[in-house]
Amino acid sequence: MSSQDHYVIIGNGPAGNHAAAVLRKKDKEARVSIISDECIPYYYKPKLTGFITGSVPREDLLVLSLESYARENIRVRLGQKVERVDVDSKTLHFSHMEKIQYTKLVIASGSDSRMLPSMEPYEWALKFVTSYTDVMEYKDQIKNAQEIFIFGGDFVGFKFLRMLDAMGKKVSILIYPHAFWPYNLSDEMLDQVVANLSKTRVQVIVKDDIKDIKGSPGAYRIKTCNGIEKKADLIFSFNGMTPNIDFIKGSGIDYDHGILVDEYLKTTVDDVYACGSCAQIYNPAIKAYTVTIGWPNAVNQGEVAALNLLGDHKVITSVGRKYFDLEGVKIKTTWWKNIEDE
Amino acid sequence: MYSKEEGFFKDKKKTYSVQSVKRIVYSTDARDFGQAARSVPCQEACPAKTNIPGYIRCIHDKRYGRAYELNRMANILPGVLGRICSRPCEAACRHGEPDNGTSVGICHLKRACADLKPASHKIIEGLYSPTDKKVAVIGSGPAGLAAAHDLSVFGHKVMIYEGQEKPGGMLMYGIPEFRLPRDLLMLEINNILRMGIQITTGKKIGTDIALKDLEKEYDAVVVATGCVIPRKLGIEGEDLENVHNGLEFMAAVNEGQAPYVGKKVAVIGAGFTAVDCARSAVRLGASDVSLNIRKTQEYMRIDESEKHEAAFEGILTNSLIQPSRIIGDGKKVTGIEFVRTRMEKTDTPPFRTSVLIKDSQFTVQVDSVIAALGQGPDADGISRDLKKLKSLGDLAWKGKVFATGDFVTGSTDVITAIAGARKCARLVDEKLIGEKRRQTVVRLEDHKTTDRPRAYDFISRREMNTIDMEKRLENPANEVETGFDETRAFEESKRCYLCNLKYEIDPLACIYCSACIDVAPKDCIKMIRNIPLNDDGSYGDYEETSDWNDVVSITIENAACIRCGQCLAVCPMDCISVTKTELIEIDI
Repeated sequence: MSSQDHYVIIGNGPAGNHAAAVLRKKDKEARVSIISDECIPYYYKPKLTGFITGSVPREDLLVLSLESYARENIRVRLGQKVERVDVDSKTLHFSHMEKIQYTKLVIASGSDSRMLPSMEPYEWALKFVTSYTDVMEYKDQIKNAQEIFIFGGDFVGFKFLRMLDAMGKKVSILIYPHAFWPYNLSDEMLDQVVANLSKTRVQVIVKDDIKDIKGSPGAYRIKTCNGIEKKADLIFSFNGMTPNIDFIKGSGIDYDHGILVDEYLKTTVDDVYACGSCAQIYNPAIKAYTVTIGWPNAVNQGEVAALNLLGDHKVITSVGRKYFDLEGVKIKTTWWKNIEDE
Repeated sequence: MYSKEEGFFKDKKKTYSVQSVKRIVYSTDARDFGQAARSVPCQEACPAKTNIPGYIRCIHDKRYGRAYELNRMANILPGVLGRICSRPCEAACRHGEPDNGTSVGICHLKRACADLKPASHKIIEGLYSPTDKKVAVIGSGPAGLAAAHDLSVFGHKVMIYEGQEKPGGMLMYGIPEFRLPRDLLMLEINNILRMGIQITTGKKIGTDIALKDLEKEYDAVVVATGCVIPRKLGIEGEDLENVHNGLEFMAAVNEGQAPYVGKKVAVIGAGFTAVDCARSAVRLGASDVSLNIRKTQEYMRIDESEKHEAAFEGILTNSLIQPSRIIGDGKKVTGIEFVRTRMEKTDTPPFRTSVLIKDSQFTVQVDSVIAALGQGPDADGISRDLKKLKSLGDLAWKGKVFATGDFVTGSTDVITAIAGARKCARLVDEKLIGEKRRQTVVRLEDHKTTDRPRAYDFISRREMNTIDMEKRLENPANEVETGFDETRAFEESKRCYLCNLKYEIDPLACIYCSACIDVAPKDCIKMIRNIPLNDDGSYGDYEETSDWNDVVSITIENAACIRCGQCLAVCPMDCISVTKTELIEIDI
């Protein structure tokens, strides 16, 4: 491999970092860069909810320190946002007007919290647990809040709900069955979730919708379509994730509910690969594109993308935990057909 | 804002009139047409060549009536198009180019000038003397109305034959009322008809009246019957009960009927009609409505706001699937079988096709299916008589018979149909009179100021407000978009770069100090050694050089310029001029 190569990875999560590690290991001479729009080194995102509630200190969030990137001769660009990819000239355009060239590109940009179109009028009132930066903005407010309203649900949301309940907060949740994109809760699943939550102090609202939100931080008033009125100091939205791929739109890289890649994690454009939760992967076994979630899947995909980018032909498979437990309900981590029932 | 006039006006003892020093040139030079096309991308993208920077500037100046007339000169139905246009202009807007932000809300502004014009607004029509020529126009859709209007302006006596009970064609029967209020549609149709155009409705040519009879009675016949025959899915089960085709479904809804949709509806199609059908199904009480498309959402033939409104109303878009079979109980539809698809590259636009994945079928239970796959011209009725027409691109002609609009081009959009029809009207008039009476020229006018400060470049796009879901369901006819008020329209109008202002450096006065290059925020001021001419006589791409020995001029590339005016402000030699460039129609 030529020492002139510049491998660029967009995304500083498990997929991106494991791709970078493989690229560095296999090609000692090439330049390897990781770009992240966050200002914190590689951290363990699933621990963010614990960080908010104070049960996880900042040191325990970090997976890698900045020094470890330097040791590996990987350049990490933090707080930099890619705005556009020009695949013809192999150029990345940043929001700070810089342009850099890549030889091969790995997109591992992950996902952001999904904003439901119907909730856009209330965006001003909603908080999300998406990034370290978001969380730092309202970490202290949570400590002081007494009443918290959660809208939607999803895996992170339920974990968060349990933590808030344990902190002694008065929590209400309006569950949206389709908050778990790309999965929908059936009526039976919903009943089981509600039954399990009844053992907590959490007040559960189902088969309803938000009609209006008024007020300001610390004093919101929420009205539902079925006439329920709630007060809340903070309102959180947990409605699943949406791939963070706006910067590839118009570039010629195909996307649907994620960047479309084949079973080798290659996009529709030469020398561009995608992996992790921003990718929608073709699965020949079920003859469909699927989205995966979970840390082990992201790690595996990052490594496979890097190997294939260097010339290998590894077919991706589902790994790690096969199910998430949602209040006693088992939900698959992927739509992979070969996943065994437990 | 920078003005070269400021210096003059400082002398309080003298009185100056800006009007008195206007210098205007009407050009037919290919270089000026080429420059206008290249540097005003919105106008070039508009099939009707609407003077977009011109009317946006009028909105900025709160001259809403003038803005409405500038629109009407080109596109006849500003209030209608301000609501339902496919907006090719916005896709081309320079403000939406990489690193420039987002395109100007041109269509919303078009609607604003129709909404905000004063009640005392006067419609301007440059009427020619009566000619005693009689023209029949078949069809009163956008193309028919536009052709009838222009022919009437030319002084011909026009009769429209409409097969449906009401005029408007697809505007009346294809587009739902929640996107296009019928009182507004009728108002703009009546603005056309009241010029003395007669209309007979409920009579179809080919069945009720023979085309040959019209040819005998009239000096010219314009066929503008559009595309009314829906495309079929061509799969098993298509004839089952509760399988609708999009056009008939929308016509029924627009006539006040409530076709059965049930709770779970699968709409097949990726265009405006498919989305209209899906949104209408929501208003008919369906709770689970999906749009099912062969490719990805990126390749849907609708704009982002339509995608957003569909999602807002709870409509799911299932991509990369194609229906293979409609399943029924022998009478009614009960489900639909899909095959998964994948994207494949092609060598022709849009450079992607969907390819079926073998053995990937799956079934979904549904109560109804709406197939909105587009439509073609009537192949059995009037078309039989028109096979010998000579095609001239977007119109066809032989003897007394002319054809225009979607009937000729296949299914397009309203603005394309109007543009084609106006071209057809010019040809009809030429044949009837024996000479051309109108021509398009480039109007060039000295313009002393940049008209906008640089700060306007950083204003974010004003989005359209909409009514909430409760109101949408309360009455299906309630218009979803609420329009811009004056403040919103003013803010959005500031965002237009005014690309119709052409910036030029006088090479004889320029001292090559390169101060303009230093302050330009874009790479738009270039040192060049040559500007070659294209085959059509317009300027080609600039040949740049960094070798001072080869530099023949420092030139502003108006196709890259964002009209910030910084070069004008910094030039020590006052050698940069601004010229307002407009495509207009004049009498020959």
